[in-house]
Amino acid sequence: MASTVDQLIDNSIEDPARRAPLVTGGLDYAGVTDVVSQVAESPKPPRIWYILLGISLLLLAMLGANIGHLIFTGVGVWGNRSPVFWGWPIVNFVFWVGIGHAGTLISAILFLFRQNWRTSINRAAEAMTIFAVVCALLFPGIHIGRVWAAYWLFPIPTEHLAMWPNFRSPLLWDVFAVSTYGTVSALFWFMGMVPDIATFRDRAKDPVRRFVYGLLSLGWTGSARAWHRYEVAYVILAALATPLVLSVHTIVSFDFAVSMLPGWHTTIFPPYFVAGAIFSGFAMVVTLLVPARELFGLKHLITIRHLENMNKVIVATGTMVGFAYGIEFFIAWYGGNANEGETFLNRAFGEYYWAYWTMVSCNVIAPQFFWFKKIRTNPWLMVIVCIFVNIGMWFERFVITVTSLARDFIPSSWGYFSPTPVDVMMLIGSFGLFFTLFLLFCRFLPVVAISEVKAVMPTGEHGEGESH
Amino acid sequence: MAHRPSPTRTEPQVKFVGYLAEFDDPHRLVAACDQVRQAGYRQIDAHTPFPVHGIDPALGIRRTRLPFIVLAVGLGALAVGILLQWYANATDDIRPFPGYKFLISGKPTWSLPANIPVAFEITVLFSAFATFFGMWGLNKLPQFSNPLFRIPRFKRATSDRFFLMISADDPIFDATQTRQQLERFGALNVERVDHDQSDAELPRFLKPLAWCLASIAILIPTAVYRSQAMTNEAPRLHFNPDMDWQDKSKPQTVSPALAGAEGSTLFADGRVMRPDVPGTVALGELRLSDPLFRGYEQGTAVEPGATDEEGNPLEPEWVTAFPSDVDDAGDPVLEVNEAMMARGQRQYGIYCAPCHGYAGYGDGLVSRRGLDLTVQGLAAWNQAKSLHDPMVVDQAVGKIFDTISNGRNTMGPYRSQITVEDRWAIVLYVKALQATQERTAAATAPAN
Ligand code: HEC
Repeated sequence: MASTVDQLIDNSIEDPARRAPLVTGGLDYAGVTDVVSQVAESPKPPRIWYILLGISLLLLAMLGANIGHLIFTGVGVWGNRSPVFWGWPIVNFVFWVGIGHAGTLISAILFLFRQNWRTSINRAAEAMTIFAVVCALLFPGIHIGRVWAAYWLFPIPTEHLAMWPNFRSPLLWDVFAVSTYGTVSALFWFMGMVPDIATFRDRAKDPVRRFVYGLLSLGWTGSARAWHRYEVAYVILAALATPLVLSVHTIVSFDFAVSMLPGWHTTIFPPYFVAGAIFSGFAMVVTLLVPARELFGLKHLITIRHLENMNKVIVATGTMVGFAYGIEFFIAWYGGNANEGETFLNRAFGEYYWAYWTMVSCNVIAPQFFWFKKIRTNPWLMVIVCIFVNIGMWFERFVITVTSLARDFIPSSWGYFSPTPVDVMMLIGSFGLFFTLFLLFCRFLPVVAISEVKAVMPTGEHGEGESH
Repeated sequence: MAHRPSPTRTEPQVKFVGYLAEFDDPHRLVAACDQVRQAGYRQIDAHTPFPVHGIDPALGIRRTRLPFIVLAVGLGALAVGILLQWYANATDDIRPFPGYKFLISGKPTWSLPANIPVAFEITVLFSAFATFFGMWGLNKLPQFSNPLFRIPRFKRATSDRFFLMISADDPIFDATQTRQQLERFGALNVERVDHDQSDAELPRFLKPLAWCLASIAILIPTAVYRSQAMTNEAPRLHFNPDMDWQDKSKPQTVSPALAGAEGSTLFADGRVMRPDVPGTVALGELRLSDPLFRGYEQGTAVEPGATDEEGNPLEPEWVTAFPSDVDDAGDPVLEVNEAMMARGQRQYGIYCAPCHGYAGYGDGLVSRRGLDLTVQGLAAWNQAKSLHDPMVVDQAVGKIFDTISNGRNTMGPYRSQITVEDRWAIVLYVKALQATQERTAAATAPAN
């Protein structure tokens, strides 16, 4: 039988002589199955789950009402005015897409690098990715103004219109990148879930659950031949998703970088956006998983070591982002372009100085606390830092989008952006959408990749270490 | 079951599928797989809660061809992605769905670097589809009916137990011997798997239900198709007014209802445009001179549509020389000179050349495209007349002036676009154009 090390062990201690176990609490195979399944099987979720779901649904309803208002009235209900035509909707879009990067990064890139610790967190991170992409797609979808013509974004042949999308426009690349990313992430997520849903099916007592999980698990029997093709497919999807995940935020950054606006037209944008996306995505994963593991009793699967590893990624990417801010300033000066220089001075010391310095303190200073092991391994402290990171990353997109647009080349058309209540309600409402989806996911689907965790558990008899 | 003949009618329709051996440890399973294979069995499979490493060689599983499928689909998608962009943005003449070739900042319509992102995304998207659907297809999933699901013990195959299955179809399978072998290889437990074929039978109500659903599903496209083929008098559904209807006055329309006052319109006569005050003429609209403003001798106007006894349309007496009217200050309105000629050339290039061509042969771009479309059956276009047609060459200047002002046959009027002076200038230029070309005997020199 599979066995694990003593349950009192602190697996965040670095001991080069021995690999730290990824599952604690003395769980064996059946134990892992039980721990994950009880989340979905317990007759009643914790009370706090209902409270959170209630709040999220309220926010979701608010979002829905605002979208209805927007569609029937027009985009004028937002604060988007000349000269800032890309207000909060685009800020929110980039913010959510960025968050949606952690999941695929964890499931694909860490998989290719054989980082076994990913198995406990990848499922939840992938789910989070998909829900974030849903929130992200919402904003450009309604930002086009005439929502009923949204299908014009896609290359659909029409006899009478004789019009096609402009394939040379970064905004169109964006449509392709984000929708491909959403689709591939969803396939990846679902495929990973099938064996675990089969576990749910086989444990289900009541016929409705058996039917629904039976349908979703596609008749999976865990056949060795099926597993063989499944694993090959998993590697291929991971290999496809890896360049994809890097391409998505690169292309999102092209929306800005390909234009000629000072503060946007820089070649550092793609790597800088990708680092920022990973940064914010990991911060969101930590923010979600710390409460989730408390709530659903998953502490032995999502251990402190897992969280600590993510925090290390956060401090690394946070530092890269800080470095990128520095380089931007340096190039603005070194490049000798007066407009560029002025734009950056204005960012830091102009009308929007408050946004700039919020961004710098949240994104550059906050993650530095993770150099301290105490903070890095304390669940609640790390959540606080991560929330700051998320606030900072929203401000980063705000600073980039708004400060450059508010002041372009002609001083006579400079302006100042102020959001409307609809802007604010939509941003808050998008969190309602996100959390509603995430809470439902936690309750009804396998939160941890059961079969993947089992595959990296030590198999007792044959000694220490990995099973393969 | 209709399609599989059973040996005897009375026997329950149960088929012996094979033996299922249970193990509690992946290593024991792999060892057993090895032994079973060495014993010569080939129709074997294992069922495990997670992929067990080392089991592929033990079971003799060959590498899947999935990667090649994905490669082929991926390359295909790349080609399609590039072609799609070329088709959509670099062509505009492929029917029935013409592309949309348009110029942006003078950049080439087809430039590969700008097309890389979309080509890449399409490649990844379709490769992912190929991986996902290919994997399920090769695994023959989804398949919801499986005799294994009837075995209570098998439920642990997705949790913590490891199973080895030997199919009864295997050539060396033997009901008693195989069982003993499996027990010898360390199975906790060996179970007989039967396939109750009535299991796979669909519920009886499904067939009529499927028919009902299918007929309903056909109704909608049929209705859509029908309404497409019919003309419909009812106004279109307009889900979002989108500022299409506004309370504002447009010329030539009925004056809109005033907000708040039901039924009342802005003006009592219901019109938006105001008629001139009786007995007055707006500044600059007196236009008494027939030669200058209408191209015929004073007072020779004819009723529109009037004909002589033989039914030929009556024409006024066209002026044959440029009118010599003077303005209020006593200066001539038209001075036939080089400046007027240059003006005429310029205005001709703007207003007439698109149809009649720069040399006046009726071969302007608009006319040529119109003829092209006519040949393809997509439009009905009359070629713009050649201005060197003897019939036009012989025309008096007044008549040409009238053609420009009021149009002729299928040519539209231009009096609202071109001022009187410019119209005369164009006439001058047309006459000059005609003079440059080969002249027929009847041609007259431009009156000058
Ligand atoms: C939109 C295309 C178009 C434009 C622009 C146009 N024409 Fe024409 N024109 C025609 C066509 C078509 C005819 C032949 C009409 C017919 O006979 O049905 C024609 C006929 C004529 C004729 C011969 C009329 C006759 O007596 O049969 C003259 C003269 C002429 N155009 C002069 C002009 C001049 C001068 C201009 C510039 C102000 C002009 N056209 C602009 C399309 C055009």
